[in-house]
Amino acid sequence: MTFEEARDYLLEKARAMGLEAEVLATYSRELTIQAHGGKVEEITQATQGGVGVRVVVEGKTGYAYTEERTPEALDWVLREAHENALLQSETGGFLPAGGELGRHDLLGEGLSAPLEQKRQAALDLEADLRADPRVLQVQMTRYSEQETQATLGSTRGVAGAFRNGFALLLSSAVMGEGKSLKQGWEFDLAKEFHALEPGRTAQQLLHRTGRLLGARPLKTGRYKAYFEPRAFAQLVGMMGWFLLSAKNVLEGKSLLAGKLGQKVASEMFTLVDDPTLIGGLASRPFDAEGTAARRTVFIENGILRTFAHNSETAQKMGLENTGHAFRSYKGVLDIAPSNLFVQPGEGVQMDDGIVVTELMGLHAGANPISGEFSLQALGLKVEGGEVAYPVENFTVAGNILELFSRITALGRELEWNSMMGMVGSPMVEVAELSFAGA
Amino acid sequence: MLDQALVGDVLRRARQGGADFAELYVERWRRRAMRVLSGEVKEATSGLEYGAGLRLFYGTEVVYAYTNDLSPASLLEVADTLVRLKGSAGQVDAQGIGGLDFRKTVAQGLHAPQIPFTAKDKRYRLERILEAEAGARVGPQIKQVQTNLLEWEQEVLVATSEGAWAEDRRVRTRLVVTAIAQDETGMQTGSAGPGLSVGLELFERYPPAEVGRRAGLQALTNLRAKPAPAGTMPVVIGNGFGGVIFHEALGHLLETTSVAKKASVLSDKLGEKVASDCVTYIDDGTTPHGWGSQEFDDEGRPTERTVLIENGVLKSYMVDRLGSLLTGYRPTGSGRRQDYTFAPTSRMRNTFIAPGNTPKEKLFEGIEFGLYAADMGGGQVRPGSGEYNFAVKEGYVIRHGRIEEPVRGAMLVGRGPESIQKIVAVSDDLETGPGMCGSLSGSLPVEVGQPHLLISEIVVGGQA
Repeated sequence: MTFEEARDYLLEKARAMGLEAEVLATYSRELTIQAHGGKVEEITQATQGGVGVRVVVEGKTGYAYTEERTPEALDWVLREAHENALLQSETGGFLPAGGELGRHDLLGEGLSAPLEQKRQAALDLEADLRADPRVLQVQMTRYSEQETQATLGSTRGVAGAFRNGFALLLSSAVMGEGKSLKQGWEFDLAKEFHALEPGRTAQQLLHRTGRLLGARPLKTGRYKAYFEPRAFAQLVGMMGWFLLSAKNVLEGKSLLAGKLGQKVASEMFTLVDDPTLIGGLASRPFDAEGTAARRTVFIENGILRTFAHNSETAQKMGLENTGHAFRSYKGVLDIAPSNLFVQPGEGVQMDDGIVVTELMGLHAGANPISGEFSLQALGLKVEGGEVAYPVENFTVAGNILELFSRITALGRELEWNSMMGMVGSPMVEVAELSFAGA
Repeated sequence: MLDQALVGDVLRRARQGGADFAELYVERWRRRAMRVLSGEVKEATSGLEYGAGLRLFYGTEVVYAYTNDLSPASLLEVADTLVRLKGSAGQVDAQGIGGLDFRKTVAQGLHAPQIPFTAKDKRYRLERILEAEAGARVGPQIKQVQTNLLEWEQEVLVATSEGAWAEDRRVRTRLVVTAIAQDETGMQTGSAGPGLSVGLELFERYPPAEVGRRAGLQALTNLRAKPAPAGTMPVVIGNGFGGVIFHEALGHLLETTSVAKKASVLSDKLGEKVASDCVTYIDDGTTPHGWGSQEFDDEGRPTERTVLIENGVLKSYMVDRLGSLLTGYRPTGSGRRQDYTFAPTSRMRNTFIAPGNTPKEKLFEGIEFGLYAADMGGGQVRPGSGEYNFAVKEGYVIRHGRIEEPVRGAMLVGRGPESIQKIVAVSDDLETGPGMCGSLSGSLPVEVGQPHLLISEIVVGGQA
């Protein structure tokens, strides 16, 4: 059975069983070429996909999915989803009505280059890194590409599909100078193979990691912090987004609950999500429920304007659906951003403080419910407006909302990162934060 | 799960294309997950995952493909695609002589569940979850309780062109309770999440109300906790999940995935003293019903108990097939992968610091000012530099040898090889706890463990 046949089979059976159903089918193709020691050491080629359903019966919602597309497996999925739905005691569940959303191609022919060129890209990236005498080991170098086709359909008339994908260069290397060792990584993500440049990715890694060699301990204290875009994007993508999700607001997990229309951040701070961004890596024509994509300003000059909603949270809170429904075929209905970014500002003038170049261990050291974070960081000590020396073995700690309210300047240039979803940020200056070290 | 003749054909096709080793991995998962928030089932889901991965070796070069179309035509096409990808480099063996006289080994059921996936209905599960929630409501400050129940059943077949044929069935169950406490000072969390290679008898081993209670008490402790101090100080790390620090600081540095590339600071150090005398570190894939236990690894090799460090001396690495080819070290049954979408690499199973002989109370004696990290969250390491970090979930200040007020938000950071030299005393109360470990071959269930132990100094990230 093809994915579309599986979708139609499920919708037809669901109607016969008296269930409202929404079917999401995803099919993806992946190619990964890994280089090591001047040779291609591993190639992975894959096709994979699955079908997930959300059913609603008597106002109760249940889920199930399968990667096996036989009638037996699909029947099992509907039975399990039905049983799962009946466990709910709440009865507010519904599927949004919708219509024909069309078929969209957000990828085009960007990945169609000969295999040989893709191999060469991985080999070139590794060779460019090895050419630097400070590089002791190149642990991993990869070219990777992925193409995904998603199909959505429901018994309430929603029908649509889109194709998307990306090409990626990724490397991780250990650099050393004297006794100092630093492991760094770098990646570049694009919609087209030809937009990647191994030499540029290598230079970025060498620059970002090389400048940390010879790091000294940092004295415990309070310092002004200059977050580089990558580090700030990590905080926004992980903690900021958590607070904005209406699902977390409804579940009593968001510190921003009850603060719509209030000042929650510095007036320089504006946070936007734009799924319609042309060429945006996380752009989408519609969300996982078929709600058409549009730009949303969450925080405008420090004022909280809206939370991120899907149809369910919007109805529960009596507010407008922002079209942020997210679901993978394996997952349950959630809320996710597309291209989320911090609006750039007038520029940062450094004087004294710490440039935070990267944060580590966010999955454990950042608690989005309490808003508190204490994170291992990499960075540079700045004195009199100049980078004095790199620092290491320290943490930076604070509360995310306090941090947002203490923003004192924003850089002019937006830089995108895909570590925590697609998040864009300029350099961000924060008045004072607590650093722990020696 | 797959016809033997078809498996033989796929492996033969790969060998004919010039691969000197071929391995087919086939699996089927059934999963259930339920999330209950303050009495309401928020989401219940069930899943069927199904796929195969084919890995070919050309010397130490690897090509890997996976698909979830397991029809004969598709699997043979996958083999052909891989051979094409590799190009004509390999030596063609037209006869395809490989040891396709499979030696079948089937799991003995060492970790088999008593109450399997198909037993009991969903209401039964929901009732146990509600018991956990009730247990977590230890005070009026507990505003929200979230409980997740995860059940996995995995059937695996690994067959290789050398004639290995291993079938394993793995069942894992985990209950995770998160309690949120709130008062005028803010919101804090506590959690507890036991998991084992068992079925629903998990509820007998860990009564849900008790699990909930632990989460609730921890949330209350964090609510009255002050921000953690900042600076370098002695730290006593609690037993059980406290072992995550050595999982990060030491375990990852001993996987051939990084050792073979000399990308670990502990490469080429077998027989050398790498830790203080009181440290013995073991990775055991055979612990009965351990969260990280399995009878075979994901390369079809029986798992084993591997002593990594004995009294401070490095004895073994964790070695998978590729790691063994690259380094010459004996494979240790450590080849693991999240599922068919990943090629296996060397990974930890149940890894712990062996008990020492210092009574727990003695560890605190003589500490003027320090931190007691009673329970831990997760962490992270960069094997190339050894830099690690991990979060303290429940912590207390140690003053004049006594455990005093609770503190929250502490993060421990350092370099693994330095920190293991600074373990000065190990107690005798070994416990283990389950976690999910993310690395090159995906996210895997592992146990971490240790007795209480004392590290003479470590950087504590808190409020300055």
